[in-house]
Amino acid sequence: MQTPDFKGTHLFDRLCWAKERLEPVQSDFRIVYEDSVDECAKILVPDPNWMACALQGGILPPVWVYHELAKDEAQPDFKKHTRGYLLHTTEPMPALTEEQAIEYLIMKDCPQHVWKEWNTGNKPKMVICRKEQLPSTREWRNAWKITEDLTATDIAA
Amino acid sequence: MSTILVDNLTGKTSAGSITVTSEGGAATQSLQQGLAKAWVNFNGTGTIAARDSLNVSGLVDDATSDYTVNLSNAMANSNFAIVDSSCYDSDVGGASATGVTESLPASTTSYALHSGRSTSGSEFDNQYVYGTIFGDLA
Repeated sequence: MQTPDFKGTHLFDRLCWAKERLEPVQSDFRIVYEDSVDECAKILVPDPNWMACALQGGILPPVWVYHELAKDEAQPDFKKHTRGYLLHTTEPMPALTEEQAIEYLIMKDCPQHVWKEWNTGNKPKMVICRKEQLPSTREWRNAWKITEDLTATDIAA
Repeated sequence: MSTILVDNLTGKTSAGSITVTSEGGAATQSLQQGLAKAWVNFNGTGTIAARDSLNVSGLVDDATSDYTVNLSNAMANSNFAIVDSSCYDSDVGGASATGVTESLPASTTSYALHSGRSTSGSEFDNQYVYGTIFGDLA
Protein backbone atom coordinates (compact mmCIF):
# COMPACT_ATOMS: atom_id res chain seq x y z
CA MET A 1 0.00 0.00 0.00
CA GLN A 2 1.32 3.40 -0.97
CA THR A 3 1.52 6.03 1.78
CA PRO A 4 -0.06 9.32 0.67
CA ASP A 5 2.16 12.41 0.54
CA PHE A 6 1.79 13.34 4.18
CA LYS A 7 4.16 16.29 4.42
CA GLY A 8 2.26 19.03 6.24
CA THR A 9 -0.44 16.63 7.45
CA HIS A 10 -0.90 16.59 11.23
CA LEU A 11 0.94 13.62 12.74
CA PHE A 12 -2.20 12.51 14.59
CA ASP A 13 -4.06 12.31 11.26
CA ARG A 14 -1.23 10.23 9.82
CA LEU A 15 -1.40 7.86 12.79
CA CYS A 16 -5.17 7.55 12.35
CA TRP A 17 -4.68 6.78 8.65
CA ALA A 18 -2.18 4.05 9.55
CA LYS A 19 -4.38 2.64 12.31
CA GLU A 20 -7.19 2.14 9.84
CA ARG A 21 -5.13 0.58 7.08
CA LEU A 22 -1.95 -1.10 8.36
CA GLU A 23 -1.68 -4.48 10.04
CA PRO A 24 0.02 -4.17 13.46
CA VAL A 25 3.49 -5.72 13.63
CA GLN A 26 4.47 -7.42 16.91
CA SER A 27 8.25 -7.12 17.07
CA ASP A 28 10.31 -9.77 18.86
CA PHE A 29 12.94 -7.18 19.74
CA ARG A 30 13.14 -5.78 23.25
CA ILE A 31 15.44 -3.06 24.58
CA VAL A 32 16.70 -3.70 28.10
CA TYR A 33 18.32 -0.72 29.78
CA GLU A 34 19.40 0.55 33.17
CA ASP A 35 18.39 4.14 33.78
CA SER A 36 19.94 4.26 37.24
CA VAL A 37 22.27 1.97 39.18
CA ASP A 38 19.79 1.97 42.04
CA GLU A 39 16.88 0.72 39.96
CA CYS A 40 16.13 -2.55 38.25
CA ALA A 41 16.47 -2.95 34.49
CA LYS A 42 13.68 -1.51 32.35
CA ILE A 43 12.38 -3.10 29.18
CA LEU A 44 11.17 -1.04 26.24
CA VAL A 45 8.60 -2.79 24.06
CA PRO A 46 7.76 -1.37 20.61
CA ASP A 47 4.08 -0.76 20.02
CA PRO A 48 2.71 -2.92 17.15
CA ASN A 49 0.86 -0.04 15.46
CA TRP A 50 3.90 2.19 15.76
CA MET A 51 6.12 -0.54 14.28
CA ALA A 52 3.72 -0.83 11.33
CA CYS A 53 4.11 2.93 10.74
CA ALA A 54 7.90 2.70 10.90
CA LEU A 55 8.03 -0.18 8.40
CA GLN A 56 5.52 1.50 6.09
CA GLY A 57 7.39 4.82 5.87
CA GLY A 58 6.10 8.31 5.20
CA ILE A 59 4.28 8.58 8.55
CA LEU A 60 6.66 9.16 11.47
CA PRO A 61 8.70 12.36 11.84
CA PRO A 62 12.51 12.16 12.11
CA VAL A 63 13.70 11.46 15.64
CA TRP A 64 15.50 14.80 15.92
CA VAL A 65 12.08 16.46 16.05
CA TYR A 66 11.41 14.76 19.40
CA HIS A 67 14.81 15.87 20.64
CA GLU A 68 14.02 19.48 19.72
CA LEU A 69 10.71 19.30 21.57
CA ALA A 70 12.48 17.75 24.57
CA LYS A 71 14.93 20.67 24.57
CA ASP A 72 12.03 23.12 24.65
CA GLU A 73 10.39 21.17 27.44
CA ALA A 74 13.57 21.24 29.52
CA GLN A 75 13.51 25.05 29.65
CA PRO A 76 12.56 26.31 33.13
CA ASP A 77 9.90 28.63 31.75
CA PHE A 78 8.28 25.95 29.57
CA LYS A 79 4.51 26.14 29.62
CA LYS A 80 3.41 24.52 26.36
CA HIS A 81 4.93 23.49 23.06
CA THR A 82 5.15 26.27 20.51
CA ARG A 83 7.09 24.22 17.97
CA GLY A 84 4.68 21.29 17.70
CA TYR A 85 4.51 22.06 13.99
CA LEU A 86 7.85 20.27 13.66
CA LEU A 87 5.99 16.99 14.18
CA HIS A 88 3.60 17.78 11.35
CA THR A 89 5.56 19.75 8.75
CA THR A 90 8.93 17.98 8.76
CA GLU A 91 9.45 15.50 5.94
CA PRO A 92 8.41 12.10 7.36
CA MET A 93 10.89 9.23 7.64
CA PRO A 94 11.11 6.78 4.74
CA ALA A 95 10.35 3.08 5.30
CA LEU A 96 12.67 1.57 7.90
CA THR A 97 13.78 -1.99 8.48
CA GLU A 98 12.80 -3.49 11.83
CA GLU A 99 16.37 -3.02 13.08
CA GLN A 100 16.39 0.65 12.01
CA ALA A 101 13.01 1.14 13.67
CA ILE A 102 14.41 -0.23 16.94
CA GLU A 103 17.35 2.21 16.72
CA TYR A 104 14.90 5.05 16.10
CA LEU A 105 12.77 3.96 19.07
CA ILE A 106 15.82 3.81 21.34
CA MET A 107 16.72 7.39 20.43
CA LYS A 108 13.13 8.49 20.91
CA ASP A 109 12.07 6.69 24.08
CA CYS A 110 15.22 5.76 26.04
CA PRO A 111 16.90 8.46 28.13
CA GLN A 112 19.72 10.09 26.15
CA HIS A 113 22.29 9.40 28.86
CA VAL A 114 21.59 5.69 28.39
CA TRP A 115 21.87 5.36 24.62
CA LYS A 116 24.62 7.93 24.15
CA GLU A 117 26.84 6.29 26.75
CA TRP A 118 25.52 2.75 26.67
CA ASN A 119 28.98 1.18 26.73
CA THR A 120 31.13 3.61 28.71
CA GLY A 121 30.72 2.08 32.17
CA ASN A 122 31.87 -1.15 33.75
CA LYS A 123 29.13 -3.00 31.91
CA PRO A 124 26.65 -2.14 29.14
CA LYS A 125 23.72 0.02 30.21
CA MET A 126 21.60 -1.16 27.32
CA VAL A 127 21.10 -4.39 25.41
CA ILE A 128 18.85 -5.21 22.46
CA CYS A 129 17.57 -8.76 22.71
CA ARG A 130 14.77 -10.99 21.53
CA LYS A 131 11.69 -11.61 23.62
CA GLU A 132 12.68 -15.25 24.20
CA GLN A 133 15.93 -14.13 25.84
CA LEU A 134 14.12 -12.46 28.71
CA PRO A 135 13.09 -14.43 31.80
CA SER A 136 9.84 -16.26 31.09
CA THR A 137 8.30 -15.35 34.44
CA ARG A 138 8.40 -12.09 36.38
CA GLU A 139 9.82 -13.68 39.50
CA TRP A 140 12.13 -11.21 41.29
CA ARG A 141 11.24 -8.62 38.64
CA ASN A 142 12.40 -5.73 40.82
CA ALA A 143 15.88 -7.24 41.00
CA TRP A 144 16.45 -7.75 37.29
CA LYS A 145 19.77 -6.32 36.07
CA ILE A 146 21.78 -6.59 32.90
CA THR A 147 24.33 -9.31 33.52
CA GLU A 148 27.95 -8.30 34.06
CA ASP A 149 29.03 -11.38 32.13
CA LEU A 150 28.15 -9.99 28.70
CA THR A 151 31.08 -10.30 26.33
CA ALA A 152 31.80 -8.18 23.27
CA THR A 153 30.62 -11.13 21.16
CA ASP A 154 27.32 -11.25 23.02
CA ILE A 155 26.83 -7.53 22.44
CA ALA A 156 27.79 -7.72 18.78
CA ALA A 157 25.47 -10.68 18.32
CA MET B 1 -33.49 12.10 10.15
CA SER B 2 -30.58 13.62 8.21
CA THR B 3 -27.17 12.12 7.62
CA ILE B 4 -24.06 14.27 7.29
CA LEU B 5 -21.43 12.79 4.99
CA VAL B 6 -18.15 14.65 5.25
CA ASP B 7 -14.45 13.85 5.45
CA ASN B 8 -13.47 16.81 7.61
CA LEU B 9 -15.04 18.91 10.34
CA THR B 10 -13.42 22.31 10.75
CA GLY B 11 -14.59 25.16 12.94
CA LYS B 12 -15.75 28.26 11.04
CA THR B 13 -14.70 30.90 13.58
CA SER B 14 -11.75 28.94 14.92
CA ALA B 15 -10.58 25.97 12.86
CA GLY B 16 -9.68 23.84 15.88
CA SER B 17 -12.86 24.44 17.85
CA ILE B 18 -16.25 22.95 17.10
CA THR B 19 -18.95 23.37 19.70
CA VAL B 20 -21.73 20.89 20.32
CA THR B 21 -24.89 22.08 22.03
CA SER B 22 -25.40 20.16 25.22
CA GLU B 23 -28.51 18.50 26.61
CA GLY B 24 -31.27 21.04 27.04
CA GLY B 25 -29.43 23.52 24.83
CA ALA B 26 -28.23 25.60 27.75
CA ALA B 27 -24.51 25.19 27.20
CA THR B 28 -22.06 24.19 24.50
CA GLN B 29 -19.21 21.73 24.63
CA SER B 30 -16.00 21.60 22.64
CA LEU B 31 -15.94 18.56 20.40
CA GLN B 32 -12.12 18.48 20.29
CA GLN B 33 -11.78 18.50 24.07
CA GLY B 34 -14.00 15.45 24.34
CA LEU B 35 -11.91 13.25 22.05
CA ALA B 36 -9.30 10.82 23.39
CA LYS B 37 -5.83 11.71 22.05
CA ALA B 38 -4.22 8.36 22.84
CA TRP B 39 -5.23 4.99 24.24
CA VAL B 40 -3.68 1.61 24.88
CA ASN B 41 -4.74 -1.84 26.05
CA PHE B 42 -1.84 -4.04 27.15
CA ASN B 43 -0.93 -7.19 29.00
CA GLY B 44 1.11 -6.22 32.06
CA THR B 45 2.19 -9.77 32.86
CA GLY B 46 5.03 -11.88 31.45
CA THR B 47 6.81 -10.02 28.66
CA ILE B 48 4.44 -7.08 28.48
CA ALA B 49 2.86 -6.33 25.11
CA ALA B 50 0.22 -4.00 23.69
CA ARG B 51 -2.95 -5.61 22.37
CA ASP B 52 -4.01 -2.46 20.58
CA SER B 53 -3.43 1.26 20.79
CA LEU B 54 -3.55 4.66 19.14
CA ASN B 55 -0.78 7.27 19.26
CA VAL B 56 1.54 5.06 21.33
CA SER B 57 5.14 4.39 20.27
CA GLY B 58 6.10 1.92 22.97
CA LEU B 59 5.63 0.63 26.49
CA VAL B 60 8.29 0.40 29.16
CA ASP B 61 8.20 -2.34 31.75
CA ASP B 62 9.78 -0.34 34.59
CA ALA B 63 9.36 -2.83 37.45
CA THR B 64 6.66 -4.93 39.06
CA SER B 65 3.35 -3.22 38.26
CA ASP B 66 5.14 -0.08 37.02
CA TYR B 67 4.92 0.87 33.36
CA THR B 68 5.54 3.88 31.14
CA VAL B 69 3.48 4.67 28.06
CA ASN B 70 5.32 6.64 25.36
CA LEU B 71 3.39 8.73 22.83
CA SER B 72 4.02 9.32 19.13
CA ASN B 73 2.27 12.69 18.86
CA ALA B 74 3.39 14.80 21.83
CA MET B 75 0.83 16.59 23.94
CA ALA B 76 0.96 20.41 24.09
CA ASN B 77 1.91 20.33 27.77
CA SER B 78 2.21 17.79 30.56
CA ASN B 79 -1.08 18.77 32.18
CA PHE B 80 -3.09 16.23 30.22
CA ALA B 81 -5.60 13.95 31.93
CA ILE B 82 -5.19 10.20 32.11
CA VAL B 83 -8.02 7.74 32.57
CA ASP B 84 -6.85 4.24 33.32
CA SER B 85 -7.86 0.96 34.87
CA SER B 86 -6.60 -2.59 35.11
CA CYS B 87 -7.84 -6.01 35.99
CA TYR B 88 -6.74 -9.59 36.34
CA ASP B 89 -8.62 -12.61 35.10
CA SER B 90 -9.60 -14.11 38.45
CA ASP B 91 -10.39 -17.42 36.80
CA VAL B 92 -6.74 -17.74 35.85
CA GLY B 93 -4.86 -16.31 38.79
CA GLY B 94 -7.44 -15.99 41.50
CA ALA B 95 -5.46 -13.01 42.74
CA SER B 96 -7.64 -10.01 42.12
CA ALA B 97 -10.71 -9.60 40.02
CA THR B 98 -10.04 -5.91 39.53
CA GLY B 99 -6.98 -3.77 39.94
CA VAL B 100 -6.38 -0.24 41.07
CA THR B 101 -4.29 1.98 38.83
CA GLU B 102 -2.49 5.24 39.38
CA SER B 103 -0.86 7.35 36.72
CA LEU B 104 1.04 10.59 36.26
CA PRO B 105 2.29 12.51 33.22
CA ALA B 106 6.09 12.30 33.08
CA SER B 107 6.55 14.63 30.10
CA THR B 108 4.59 15.71 27.04
CA THR B 109 5.43 12.38 25.38
CA SER B 110 5.05 9.89 28.19
CA TYR B 111 3.23 9.00 31.36
CA ALA B 112 3.85 6.56 34.18
CA LEU B 113 1.28 4.00 35.17
CA HIS B 114 1.13 1.84 38.29
CA SER B 115 -1.26 -1.07 38.76
CA GLY B 116 -2.06 -3.02 41.88
CA ARG B 117 -4.51 -5.27 43.67
CA SER B 118 -7.94 -3.88 44.38
CA THR B 119 -8.10 -5.68 47.70
CA SER B 120 -4.90 -4.38 49.26
CA GLY B 121 -3.51 -1.85 46.78
CA SER B 122 -0.23 -3.75 46.78
CA GLU B 123 1.95 -4.00 43.68
CA PHE B 124 0.65 -6.47 41.18
CA ASP B 125 1.09 -7.07 37.45
CA ASN B 126 -2.36 -7.09 35.91
CA GLN B 127 -3.28 -8.94 32.75
CA TYR B 128 -5.42 -6.16 31.38
CA VAL B 129 -4.16 -2.60 31.72
CA TYR B 130 -5.92 0.27 29.95
CA GLY B 131 -4.87 3.88 29.54
CA THR B 132 -6.57 6.81 27.78
CA ILE B 133 -5.44 10.42 27.46
CA PHE B 134 -7.44 13.61 27.10
CA GLY B 135 -5.90 17.00 26.52
CA ASP B 136 -4.38 19.17 23.80
CA LEU B 137 -2.08 17.74 21.15
CA ALA B 138 1.15 19.57 20.31
